[in-house]
Amino acid sequence: MVTLDVRPQLLDALSALRDRVAAARFPLPLAGAARARANRDELLAQLDDYLVPRLRDPEAPLLAVVGGSTGAGKSTLVNSLVGRRVSEAGVLRPTTRTPVLVCHPEDHHWFSGMRVLPDLTRVWVPHHQDPADDLLLPGEDPARVLRVETADTLPPGLALLDAPDIDSLVSDNRVLAAELINAADIWIMVTTAARYADAVPWHMLRTAKEYDVSLVTVLDRVPHQVVSEVSRQYGALLTKAGLGHVPRFTVPELPESAWGGGLLPATAVAALRTWLVHQTLDPAARQHVMARTAYGVLDSLNARLPELAGAAAAQYAAALRLTAAIESAYDNEHSRVRGRLQAGAVLAGDALKRWRAFPLDCTPGELLDTLVESLSALLLCAVAAADERVDDAWRREPAADAPELAARAAAPESAEHRIGLAVRRWRRELEEYAEDEVRELDRGPAPDPEMVAALVATVLLGGRRARTAGEGLAERIGAHGALRLRDRGGRLLVEHVDRVMHAERERRLAPLDALEVHAEPQPELIAALSVLQKER
Amino acid sequence: MTAATDQDHTEHPERPEHPERPEHPERPEHPERPERSDHDAEGSPRGDVSPWDDGLIARRVNGSTGEEQYRVTEPRASTPQKVTPLTYGPQLGSRLDALRELVGQSRARLDNRTLAQAGRVLDEAAARRGLSGQHTVVALAGATGSGKSQLFNALAGVPISETGVRRPTTAAPIACSWSDGAASLIERLGIPPRLRRRPLQATADADERLRGLVLVDLPDHDSAAVQHREQVDRVLGLVDAVIWVVDPEKYADAMLHERYLRPMAAHAEVMFVVLNQIDRLPGDAAEQVLDDLRRLLDEDGIVLGEYGEPGTAVLALSALTGDGVGELREALGRFVAERGAPARRISADVDIAAARLRPVYATRRRTGLSEEAREEFSDRLADAVGATAAGEAAERAWLRNANRACGTPWLRLWRWCQERGEPSTGRVALRGQTDEEVTARQRVEQAVRTVADRASAGLPVPWAQAVREAAVRGSQGLPEALDELAVRAGLPPGRPPRPGWWPVAVFAQVSMTALQFVGGLWLLGQIIGVMAPNLGVPVLLMVIGIVGGPLIEWSCRMAARGPARRYGLEAERRLREAAAGCGRARVLDPVAAELLRYREVREQYGRVVGVGTGGS
Repeated sequence: MVTLDVRPQLLDALSALRDRVAAARFPLPLAGAARARANRDELLAQLDDYLVPRLRDPEAPLLAVVGGSTGAGKSTLVNSLVGRRVSEAGVLRPTTRTPVLVCHPEDHHWFSGMRVLPDLTRVWVPHHQDPADDLLLPGEDPARVLRVETADTLPPGLALLDAPDIDSLVSDNRVLAAELINAADIWIMVTTAARYADAVPWHMLRTAKEYDVSLVTVLDRVPHQVVSEVSRQYGALLTKAGLGHVPRFTVPELPESAWGGGLLPATAVAALRTWLVHQTLDPAARQHVMARTAYGVLDSLNARLPELAGAAAAQYAAALRLTAAIESAYDNEHSRVRGRLQAGAVLAGDALKRWRAFPLDCTPGELLDTLVESLSALLLCAVAAADERVDDAWRREPAADAPELAARAAAPESAEHRIGLAVRRWRRELEEYAEDEVRELDRGPAPDPEMVAALVATVLLGGRRARTAGEGLAERIGAHGALRLRDRGGRLLVEHVDRVMHAERERRLAPLDALEVHAEPQPELIAALSVLQKER
Repeated sequence: MTAATDQDHTEHPERPEHPERPEHPERPEHPERPERSDHDAEGSPRGDVSPWDDGLIARRVNGSTGEEQYRVTEPRASTPQKVTPLTYGPQLGSRLDALRELVGQSRARLDNRTLAQAGRVLDEAAARRGLSGQHTVVALAGATGSGKSQLFNALAGVPISETGVRRPTTAAPIACSWSDGAASLIERLGIPPRLRRRPLQATADADERLRGLVLVDLPDHDSAAVQHREQVDRVLGLVDAVIWVVDPEKYADAMLHERYLRPMAAHAEVMFVVLNQIDRLPGDAAEQVLDDLRRLLDEDGIVLGEYGEPGTAVLALSALTGDGVGELREALGRFVAERGAPARRISADVDIAAARLRPVYATRRRTGLSEEAREEFSDRLADAVGATAAGEAAERAWLRNANRACGTPWLRLWRWCQERGEPSTGRVALRGQTDEEVTARQRVEQAVRTVADRASAGLPVPWAQAVREAAVRGSQGLPEALDELAVRAGLPPGRPPRPGWWPVAVFAQVSMTALQFVGGLWLLGQIIGVMAPNLGVPVLLMVIGIVGGPLIEWSCRMAARGPARRYGLEAERRLREAAAGCGRARVLDPVAAELLRYREVREQYGRVVGVGTGGS
């Protein structure tokens, strides 16, 4: 028999693991991401709501959560077990919207604090008030509230929790129900004669089996004539599912169960009540029940954490693919821009026409203007082409549908603006260089610095086509000066082009980086799990 | 569903056999009348036995014991029966045609997965059209244990379908036809002959109104047996109408509402929702539950057929006690007699298919290539070939030449001298170079990209893609074409035009120079003493010549501005128009054609939706 006592190392390992789980993010909409998110939340809830508090305080009361489908009579069952109307029951579905926890008055302190289910706001209902009244504060989210009731009829050390439907139409209720059931020491699964073959409760039973928790099933609302037949068939189904050992209780259908307000006669739920009381009062049985669920959940981590780690790895791989698409597109375009600069593609169109007319019919300023314009057109075209390639590549990636990535802040106009700014800055610096060069010249009449700047820009951007510009430059400022100016201007050009392409690439990468998908969560999760396994 | 379609295709050659099949429309010797009439619980005297132990529950249990022994298989027809095929109304017919054309037109643009559902609807509509229009196939669907089979038996008047406490009970669909000629219809549902039944003779005769009804009892949709759900999904796609049977315990199940009712909200007119087992509810609880059910259905988006409006009828009944079954029978009778269910179902299917296709066809924005976008494209291409610069260069060159022609000879001489001393740049040396890549490639690329973006803005994704592809395809070879064109259309052919005043100006300039010479010679003559001394006239002549020369040059320059500008503009315009024409032919026209194709498809989609104009 496994026993349960406080073990600080285990708790430490567990809280480390909890932090790792809480840190795991799955922002990219991959095939398994939604599932992974749900698994993470569930696991986190189970650690916070059940495992950590239970291992910390083994002497806390047992919590039995009553779960099941709509209309299975969960509230009626809880009311009957308590012997008083604590949870509203009725014919309209879904009935229970606010979960109700019932415990012995002495145990109240265990549940009024935030020891278990810290996410739920506690509501205290005085006895004399009708529980059906709407007691919620106006601002309160009705789904995130837990009502704590006390009843002397329950033995100390046992608490019952009436959960919402596991298949409720309200999806928040479904999530809440799953969360509450995960917080239980004893899972009480309620189903009915009409429902025992439904798919939804069976999902839950299979989950219970997977976690190897202390499970009880109640077959509710069974017409008494068919008790034996239905019970036998249900038993057969359970045995087939490998749950034959699970205690089964049958509650007959009574008029009281149909008209929900009533309580079932004590005899109808006596067997279940006796079983629960036995689990509570007999120390050995209590230990067993508690340890079984706790260790069952601990064991289930062995399968669940690697799954989460796998999903985290898939996220990272997808993020890498997206990043690689951006980087390769921009790198490609970058090298294309370099190639075109060398080929003199900037000196084409307007710029070429100006250059042909230079200097007779065109001033150096005009030539510089068109060259600058042409250079920004080249860069803008490269950036737009890179973006297009990225979009093409991303269209094949499901992960690229993340809303953060889809809403691209960078409008093409602003790219044009940024590139124009950078190119104009290059022009200014080039003009300064030309002025420097002209000033250093000690020869007779100093050439016009603007003319020199225009010529050197043409040389840098015109490739082979601008050979004569080089000659003209050499004539004006001497071969040595021309060479020096060309070198400096060329370095300046490369630097500016690189900076523009780099900046645009970073802009494109920014939303992806903002998602913070890293490689670390996967190894960290596995490491936390192995530490935990060592502590067991 | 595809399996069913396949069956349907194989069935067609068999259809001629049907008339030869012997069939008894009268069915004189109906096999096995029910020996225990208290089986159908209607009017059972035990209903008022009071306490819970043998009241509603006991009856429910007893109802389940008599199974099996009652097998009413469909008899073979004796007389050749005539199947009147179904006809769709003109509106539905045209919508189906429009959908067919739409699918055909879109094949090249959309992937098969997107069109699959529309194709299925068309297949089903065609298959249903080939079958009897006199019959209405109604399925009974619901959760386990909600009493589908019990209601089925209550409607048929005989315990045909097995009922029981064992969950799930019914494993395969069972059909029951109230009149003949429905064999091929039931065949289409994939129900084997051993599961086809006839209602109790007496009930059928009494229920002449239900003539034409084919009732199908389905397995449950929510049990752990997955193959049941598959059966249900398959048959629900083929029947004309559905009766959803819910019970007080399960009426709010998420499975029912989220998986079935919400997606089928468009089928509201061919749905009934029946709250069974109201005998389990005490007092006025039945009314409350019914109201709650109505609320839930309303939240699902299902139009409720209240006050005689078309929509889903919501009824409360108890198949066990027979409460409310009569009303259902009456509603069903009216429904079947209308014979409109198959068409309405197909119409709803078309609605759903159209709604599913909406994102790939409809758009909220105005689409098309605006005049500004076309202008902008032309401007960008003109920039790429350098039209503005070329025009300005031509203008300045012309002006320069004009100045040179009308300038004073002295000025020209000075300029010539100065030019000799200047280092030669660009212009002269470039003359000899071959013109390669005159057009700015990056500007052409950017222009095409921009115009494609403008044209595809607001289009659904596949069509935007098609527009972009058309633009890119057209832009291949565009820069080369523009290169060639820039050479061809660069400058106006022939010598630049000269204005009429030109010879006068040149003559005036020459005469001014002549005046200077004459004045000068005159003065020289006086100095040498050949001429009589007269200082006034020759000095005046020289002054006129010296002042007049630059004056004429200046006024010529002013006067030449206009023609130069015209000449430059002409050069620019020629290049610009040539480039724009090239761009239009290669890029804008294919893009416009693609947009037109989209517009046609959208109009077609509008016809499918039933709006007519297709504006959305």
